[in-house]
Amino acid sequence: MYPKWLWPVFAVPGVVWLILLFLVPFYAVIGVAFGGVDPIFLNAVPNWNPLSWNYDVLLTTLAGFLPGNQYWGIFLRTVVYVALALTGSLLFGYPVAYYISRHARRTKMLLIALIVLPFWVSYMMRMLAWVNLFSPSGFVNKFLLWTNLVQTPPDWLGGNHASVILGLIYGYIPYLILPLLAALDRIDRSVLEAARDLGASPASAFFHVTLPLSKPGILGASVIIALPMFGDYYTPTIVSGSPRTTMIGNQIDIFFHGGPQPSVGASLTMILSAFLAVLMAYYMITIAKAQKEVAG
Amino acid sequence: MSGGEIELIDLNKHFGPHRAVDNINLQIPGGEFFSLLGSSGCGKTTTLRMIAGFERPTSGQIVLDGADMTETPPHKRHVNTVFQSYALFPHLNVFDNVAFGLRRQKVEPDQVKRRVNEALELVQLTSFEKRKPAQMSGGQQQRVALARALVLKPAVLLLDEPLGALDARLRKQLQVELKSLQQQVGITFVYVTHDQEEALTMSDRIAVMSNGRIEQVAPPEEIYEAPATVFVADFLGVSNLMDAVASGSDATGRCKVKVGGFDCYAGRGSADATGTTKVTIRPERVRLEPKGTGGENRIPGTVQRWVYLGNSVQLIVGLATGAKIQALMQNTGEEIPYREGAEVAVHLPATALRILEDTGAPLASAED
Amino acid sequence: MTAVTERRRIAAPSTAQRIRNWILNPWGEPRGLVVITWIYVAISIVPVVVAIMFSFNAGRSVTAWQGFSLTRWYLDDPRSSVIGDPRLQHALLQSLKLAGLTMLIATPLGVMLALGLARWRGRLASASNFIMLFPLVTPELVMGVSLFLVFVNLFTFIPLGTTAQVMGHVTFSLSYVVVIVRGRLFSIGRQYEEAAADLGATPWETLRLVVLPLLLPAIFSSLMMVFAISIDDFVISAWLSCGSSCDTVPIRVYSSTRGAPLPSINALATVMVAMTLTAIGIAWVVHRYMTRGERRTGKQGGMTQAMGAFDL
Repeated sequence: MYPKWLWPVFAVPGVVWLILLFLVPFYAVIGVAFGGVDPIFLNAVPNWNPLSWNYDVLLTTLAGFLPGNQYWGIFLRTVVYVALALTGSLLFGYPVAYYISRHARRTKMLLIALIVLPFWVSYMMRMLAWVNLFSPSGFVNKFLLWTNLVQTPPDWLGGNHASVILGLIYGYIPYLILPLLAALDRIDRSVLEAARDLGASPASAFFHVTLPLSKPGILGASVIIALPMFGDYYTPTIVSGSPRTTMIGNQIDIFFHGGPQPSVGASLTMILSAFLAVLMAYYMITIAKAQKEVAG
Repeated sequence: MSGGEIELIDLNKHFGPHRAVDNINLQIPGGEFFSLLGSSGCGKTTTLRMIAGFERPTSGQIVLDGADMTETPPHKRHVNTVFQSYALFPHLNVFDNVAFGLRRQKVEPDQVKRRVNEALELVQLTSFEKRKPAQMSGGQQQRVALARALVLKPAVLLLDEPLGALDARLRKQLQVELKSLQQQVGITFVYVTHDQEEALTMSDRIAVMSNGRIEQVAPPEEIYEAPATVFVADFLGVSNLMDAVASGSDATGRCKVKVGGFDCYAGRGSADATGTTKVTIRPERVRLEPKGTGGENRIPGTVQRWVYLGNSVQLIVGLATGAKIQALMQNTGEEIPYREGAEVAVHLPATALRILEDTGAPLASAED
Repeated sequence: MTAVTERRRIAAPSTAQRIRNWILNPWGEPRGLVVITWIYVAISIVPVVVAIMFSFNAGRSVTAWQGFSLTRWYLDDPRSSVIGDPRLQHALLQSLKLAGLTMLIATPLGVMLALGLARWRGRLASASNFIMLFPLVTPELVMGVSLFLVFVNLFTFIPLGTTAQVMGHVTFSLSYVVVIVRGRLFSIGRQYEEAAADLGATPWETLRLVVLPLLLPAIFSSLMMVFAISIDDFVISAWLSCGSSCDTVPIRVYSSTRGAPLPSINALATVMVAMTLTAIGIAWVVHRYMTRGERRTGKQGGMTQAMGAFDL
C-alpha cells in the first residue's frame, strides 16, 4: 500500500548519520592507531589508506598486555574490579529483583518506582553524594568514630580498592536490577507453584527452576553493566584519583589528555573494543543457545 | 489405592474486604471424581489452591485423611496439581519434567526411570521423553502435566480447568480419557471447571459455587434434575425461571405458589417455602394445550416463536403473567398445531414445577 | 452437614506447631529478602537525598549541617551560588542548550529511522538495523574517543565545541528513540493503516492521519527521554569539549569532586536532577494520558516495558 521506496527514504537520514558519526569515527580510531605522530606538535597524523597502515604501535601496545609488561597490571586490575563489582552487584541486586518480582504485592509498584528513580538521577550526582558521605569528615567516618569501630578515620577517597569497587557497584547496580527484574517477571508464576506442588522446598524450587530460568536474564543484565564498566574511567577518578586504582579507561584518557600519545591511545581503544566485542559475541551465542534449548 | 479423603471445615479466604471463599464445608470421600463448578471469580480456583497449599486460608481447616494440613506447605502435602496452563518447566524435557518430583524425593535413578516410563505409558506418551514442552501440542503438554503429577502417586489430584486451553474436539476426547484414567488409578480427583457439560459428564459429585459459597453439592443427575437454588437452576442452562410468591404447603404436601396472579402448586422443592421466590420447570416438561383447557397449573399464553431444532421443536410462549417460557416438544413426526401467534393454555404440571431457594447469587442470564 | 460432629475428631495444630509455622511461614514473604530490598532502596536513595539537603546548608560545608538556607547556594551567594558563579551558571546554560538541541534533532531523526527500519525489508535494511543497535552496547568511552578523533582529524571543519557535542549526543540518543518508537509501532500493528487504506486514504494521508497520531505518545516519550539522557551525559560532552566554556553540569560536578566542593556544586547537581526527573515525570504522565484506555487490552509489565530500551 505504500510505495516501495518510502521506507528506505525514511531510514536514510538516520542511517547516514550513524555511518558518518558512528562508523566513520571508528575508522578514525583505526586510522590514528595505524598512523604516525607529528614529531614536533605530537599530534596524530592519521593514515587513511589501509595498504600503508603501520601496525607497530598496535603490536607494541598489545605486547604490553603480556604478563609482567606495562599494561598487564592495569588490565588485571580492571578485570578484577569489574568482576568483583559485577559479583557484588549480582549478590545484592538479584535478591532485590527477586523479591520485587516474586513477593512484593502491595508495595510492588512503589518499589519499582524507587528502583527506577536512581536510574534518572544523574550518575555524577550519585557519585557526588557518595563522595560527600565518604569524605574524611563525612557521615560514614562520623558514624564509625561515634561507634568506636575505628580510632582514626579511614581515608576512603585516597586510593582505596574497596572504595572503587563499591563506587562501581553503587553506580551501575540500578542498570542491573531493572533488566533482571524484567527477566524474573517473565517467569510464569505457576511454574514455581508446580515445583512446590511436586515436592520442592522453597530453596529447591529456586535452584532447580527460578535460577535456571533466569540465567539468560542474569547474563544479559551482567553484560549490560560489564560493558560500560570496562570503559569507565570517571568512577575511579572521583572516588580515588590515585594511580594505584586506575583502570584501562584511565590509561586511555591519559594517553589523549595527559601526555598526548594519540596512536597509543587509539590502539588501546581498539584493543578494548575488540575485547568487549568478544564478550558480546560470547553473550549472544549463549543466549541464542539458551533460546534454542527452551524452544527445542 | 486407599485414602484421599478431603474435608474442608469452615474454610474462609478473604482478600482484603473481598470474600473469595466464604465459609465452605465439604467432605470428599477417597476415590471420588469431584468437581467444583462455577463462573470465574466464584472462588473455585481459590478453594483448589488452598487444598494444594498455594493460598493460606484466612480461617478454617483443610483435612486430608484425618490429618490437619492447613499449615503444611505445598511441597509436604500428598496432593498434586495439574495447572490450567500446565506449568511445564520450559527448560526441562519431558522426562526431566516428569522426574522432577521423584528427584526431589531422592528416589534412586533406576527407580526414577522405571516410574517415569510407567507414568508416560499411562498417558500414552512413550517416545516423547527427549522433547521440550515448546515442541509439543497443547494436548500432549496436558498429558505430560498429568503424568508429572500422577507419577508421585498422590492421594488427591487437583485439576484446575485442565482442558480449558484445548479445542472442542480434543476436549471431548480428553474428558473421556480423564474419567477412565481416574477410574484406573482410583485416587480422588478434584476438578475445577466453569463448563457445566464437562462437570456433568465426568463427575461423581459436583459442587456448584457462587460468590465464594457452595450453592449445592450433589451427583450430576440431581444437580440437573433437582437444582436446589435459583443460581444452580440458572447456571445449568435454560430452566424457565419465573417469579413467584409461595405460601406454604397444602394438605397434599405441595407448595402453594402464585405465579403472576395465577394459583399454582409446586410438587418439587421445599414445600413449606413462603414469600417471594422463583419457580422453575424444564422446557421438555412444559405442555401446551388448546386455549381454554381447564385444570390446575394452567396459564394462558401466546406462542411467540417457533424454532425447528431437528429432533425437537422449541416454542417460546409469552405467558399472560408477562413472563416468557420455553417449551420443548419432541418431533414425533406429527404436526405440532401451535404456530406463531397461536393462543394456548400452558400447563406446568405440579409434579414438574420446582420451587427454588433464592440465595441472592447474581444470575448469569440476568445480563441478557 | 455432619461437619459439626466431625470437627472434634481432628486435632488443630498445637501452639508449638503454630509458632514453628509462623517462623517458617511458607506463605509469607521471606523476611530476609524484605530487609535486603529496603536496605538497597535506602542506600540508593539516601545519599542523594543527603546531597540535596546540603545544597540548602547555610554554611560552606557539605558534611556538617550549619543551618537551613533556601537560596544561598542557588541564588544569593554573589561569588559561588549557581547564579552568582559564572562558571556554574554557564555550565547550566550549556547543558540546557545541548539537551534542547539534541532533543529536537534526535527525535525526528529517530522516529523516521524507526519507521524505516520497521518496514524496510532486505539485506541493506538488516545491516542498517545492526548499525543502529551498536551505539546501545558501545561503552561511552569508545564512542567518546572515536568522535574526538574524527572531529580532530577528519571533520576538521567542525571544531570541538557545542556543535560537536550536540552531534555526539544525537548519535548516542538516536538508538534509544528508535527502540522506543519501534516498540510502539509493533504494539499498534498494521491493522489501522490497512483500515485507513481500505477507506480510501492515500499513503501520505495514512501516515499523517493514522500513523503519526498513534505514534505521538512514543514521540513525546522520546523527546523527554533524550532530554534526560543528554542532560546527564558526561563522557561524550567531556571528550568533545572545547575547554571550560563548553563545560556542562556533569563536567562541572566531576571536576569539583576532586577539590573541596562547596554546597553550590550540590545545588547545581540538584538543579540537574530536578530537570531530569521533571522531564521523565512529564513523559510518564503524558504517556499515560495519551495511552489511557489502551492499558486494559495491552500486555502486562507496563513499567518494565516502558524501560524496554534496556531489554536488549
